[in-house]
Amino acid sequence: MTESDSSNRMTAKEKYPWITSFLEGWSIFRQNLLGKIGLVLLIIFALMAICSYIPPWISPMYNPMTGVDPEITSCTPPSLRHWLGTDFMGRDILSQLLAGARIAFMVGISAAVMSIVLGVSIGMTAGYMGKFVDTLLMRLADMIMVMPTLLVVLLLSAVFGQLNIWTIVLIIALFRWPGVSRIIRGQTLSLKQRPFIEAAKVAGASHFRIIFMHIMPNVLPLAFLFMTFRVTSAIITEAALAFLGFGDPGTVSWGMMLQWVWKTGHMFQAPYWLLPPGICISLITLSFYMLGRAMDEVLDPRLRKEDQTD
Amino acid sequence: MHKRNESVLEIRDVSKIYKTKGAFFGSSGKDVTALNRISLDIFKGEIFGLVGESGSGKTTAGRLIVGLEDVNSGEILLDGSEIVGLRGRAQKKFRRKVQMIFQDPYQSLNPQRSIYDTVSEPLKIHRIGDASTRKDLVRETLQSVGLSPPDDFLFKYPHRLSGGQRQRVAIARAMILNPEFVISDEPTSMLDASISAQIFNILLEMRNRLGVTQMFITHSLAAARYLCDRVAVIYRGNLMEVGPAEEVIRNPKHPYTQALLDAVPKFGHDRDAKRYGSLLIKDRDVDKDAGCVFFPRCAVAHEDRCGRKQPGLAQLGDGHFVACFLLEAMHEA
Amino acid sequence: MAILEVENVSIGYNTKKGYLKAVERVSFTLDEGGSLGFVGESGCGKTTIGMALMGLLPPNGSVREGRILFEGKNTLRMSDEEIRKIRWREMAMIFQAAMNALNPVQRVGNQIAEAILVHDLSIGKEEAMGQVEALFELVGIPRDRLRDYPHQYSGGMKQRAVIAMALACHPKLIIADEPTTALDVIVQDQILGEIKDLQKEFDLSIIFISHDISIVADMCNDIGVMYAGQLVEFGPREQVFESPAHPYTKALLSSFPTVTGKKSDLIPIPGETPNLVVPPTGCRFCDRCSEPGPSCKTETPAWVEIGPGHKTLCCRC
Repeated sequence: MTESDSSNRMTAKEKYPWITSFLEGWSIFRQNLLGKIGLVLLIIFALMAICSYIPPWISPMYNPMTGVDPEITSCTPPSLRHWLGTDFMGRDILSQLLAGARIAFMVGISAAVMSIVLGVSIGMTAGYMGKFVDTLLMRLADMIMVMPTLLVVLLLSAVFGQLNIWTIVLIIALFRWPGVSRIIRGQTLSLKQRPFIEAAKVAGASHFRIIFMHIMPNVLPLAFLFMTFRVTSAIITEAALAFLGFGDPGTVSWGMMLQWVWKTGHMFQAPYWLLPPGICISLITLSFYMLGRAMDEVLDPRLRKEDQTD
Repeated sequence: MHKRNESVLEIRDVSKIYKTKGAFFGSSGKDVTALNRISLDIFKGEIFGLVGESGSGKTTAGRLIVGLEDVNSGEILLDGSEIVGLRGRAQKKFRRKVQMIFQDPYQSLNPQRSIYDTVSEPLKIHRIGDASTRKDLVRETLQSVGLSPPDDFLFKYPHRLSGGQRQRVAIARAMILNPEFVISDEPTSMLDASISAQIFNILLEMRNRLGVTQMFITHSLAAARYLCDRVAVIYRGNLMEVGPAEEVIRNPKHPYTQALLDAVPKFGHDRDAKRYGSLLIKDRDVDKDAGCVFFPRCAVAHEDRCGRKQPGLAQLGDGHFVACFLLEAMHEA
Repeated sequence: MAILEVENVSIGYNTKKGYLKAVERVSFTLDEGGSLGFVGESGCGKTTIGMALMGLLPPNGSVREGRILFEGKNTLRMSDEEIRKIRWREMAMIFQAAMNALNPVQRVGNQIAEAILVHDLSIGKEEAMGQVEALFELVGIPRDRLRDYPHQYSGGMKQRAVIAMALACHPKLIIADEPTTALDVIVQDQILGEIKDLQKEFDLSIIFISHDISIVADMCNDIGVMYAGQLVEFGPREQVFESPAHPYTKALLSSFPTVTGKKSDLIPIPGETPNLVVPPTGCRFCDRCSEPGPSCKTETPAWVEIGPGHKTLCCRC
């Protein structure tokens, strides 16, 4: 009857509407300078992480952890053999920097995913169940939120000795969900009141169905947005821990590198050693942050609203 | 016309009271009576109109019937069996029989789900058919609510549809299970007149073709007159007048119904000539909770009688009930 | 004498989907003390006209052509400063959403007094408050509610307060955009009655915008029916409602249920309103028309005089 001018055959766009919404989102994203810079930086870091497998493969002396240049026994400035120089015992700084990128991605993304999964499920449970469960979960969230993560991790590592990198990731995740869960709970509360949820109830939908088919798809975009910010905070936390000497001694992270610089007294003697990890930490957190800001704009419902005229 | 006196839905003495939260300390909240001992019968195959202003409790009544809220007292019977407080399998069975169409089509469809997802959901919930029969059924239902060709709509998302189209999708979702009883809660208040008329006619056709019994909740007497066989006028949780639609609107007996009719803008005629003039210019100051709910605004009330006791519904003529002391007195005389 | 003359005004919005022609070549005149009603469905451009008259179009909207003469002066040529001078003092608007027109953190009385003070520098605060009291009396709000906050008001009272605000500077022209849409029928009736009384009392000119034909019929002497950005029929109330000429007016009238007269079938208008970014050629109503002629789709309709002051934009009339 109406809009039939688009004819009966369906284009790929018609059939898979997510393509259209993705393209729409992309076109908004593309107009955002911050987002573009963030994305380019992230791609560079991702390339670095991938390239981290190359140096050890060329020669065992480029292994970031164990590889030592047999001819060098002290900190040396950049050369042809070691593009960014070596550390105090002759390990290649570039190799370490590349490996650090891999660790940063690993720590950042896995901690963020874990905390988001926790935050979303707890937030949705609290918001949907309401009453007693809501109160309980939110008080728990409040308690964890006021605990200083860094201090708690320091205490834990003081008690249990050196922490494995995965333990650190887990701890970060366990301490970083409350913020997310609060937001998701609020979103769930408002969604719960919406008529389409009531319509599903009247149709006979189970709680399970309402939560997973109706509420979840509507909170996920927000959760993804928060993930980018959580990545930032996880990377910084890990770096701070490592720098303070509580990192995993078996991995080469940028924080670890800074700690070695500091511990061996090269803080102001070897800028070629100090600066690369420092700059990398700043840039990677900045780029995730910028990406998050751009996503914010893409997901902002006010911008996605249809044009209204009358 | 429909067969008389075969009730599909019986509402018996139903009350709903909302407890409002008090101030920060203590629970000194006031109770708000949304429905006050309402009794109604809805007959098989009819469209029953529930007419009232905002805050009259008409929406609450609909929500109680579909079980979105629980009654405080009284009972609701569908085909003779109690439906209040159903759980589990019994509830699911009941859900197949009673459906609801909501007011705002912009809010009642999940923006993240396609039209096919939305309309086929009840089928999936009740495990009816397989993927291909479901698709056929969805197509058929979309066609029957005037969304044709249905394939144009199946994989669209709500934001691509106009308000009228969305409301048709909502009707299709309610109709796909072939329910016995459908409640529509102001389904056209967000739509333009020409689109509303389309929706009205779909609802009428649903009744005429499939014999679906309906309850139509509205603020508009004109819409109720067009669509309904019988209407009930509700004011602040109390039924004021119940009867055949044409009779109630052409020959209203309750002062409140008269006031409502007086207030409807008429096409281009002298507005100063009020036919009934049953509404007070300035409200009376009265003690709350005693007497008729319309007493504070009623121009024809008896100070002594109407201010003290609440009148009950009394039959006036064939199926025409009115809750007013003045008419009771007239009838007795 | 005409207080307002609108000649060939076209208004559009820049949107993401392209340039939306919200109003196309609309002309009308309003006599002093007269009442003119615009009726049409959402998206027909009636609110846009009201906003353009007040000089309150949103930033992405602009008047593309035409003239708006208020008391003989073209308001489109005026500077912002000049427009601001006549807005509220000469012409005022009663907005659609009364709840949003009032500042929630300020007492209602103060808000209106402030509006008076801004526009009339010669009086003091005391005097302004006195005027507000008089205004409240006029629109039927009890005096003791003067110091209340907006959330303490009911919907009808808020709408009354907004009317009081519009009247605050004694304007000559009032533009009322769906002033009663969110209200119950009894309250609506009271408010409409009040607007009518005020019009008589102050000899106001009124432009009344509504989607509800019966309200416009109730309130105005002249009616303009709008469809898809165009004025399609214009004339005295009796003529437009009793002998409608344009198929859209006829269709609109027969899609409204009534409480009086014989109960008749509602005839809905099939289809949806056209897209105004790429409006259809020829008559815009053609696709939904029950009696389209062979040339309607291609021929641009011209105004046809039906009776005294009654004209329509239709090829078949």
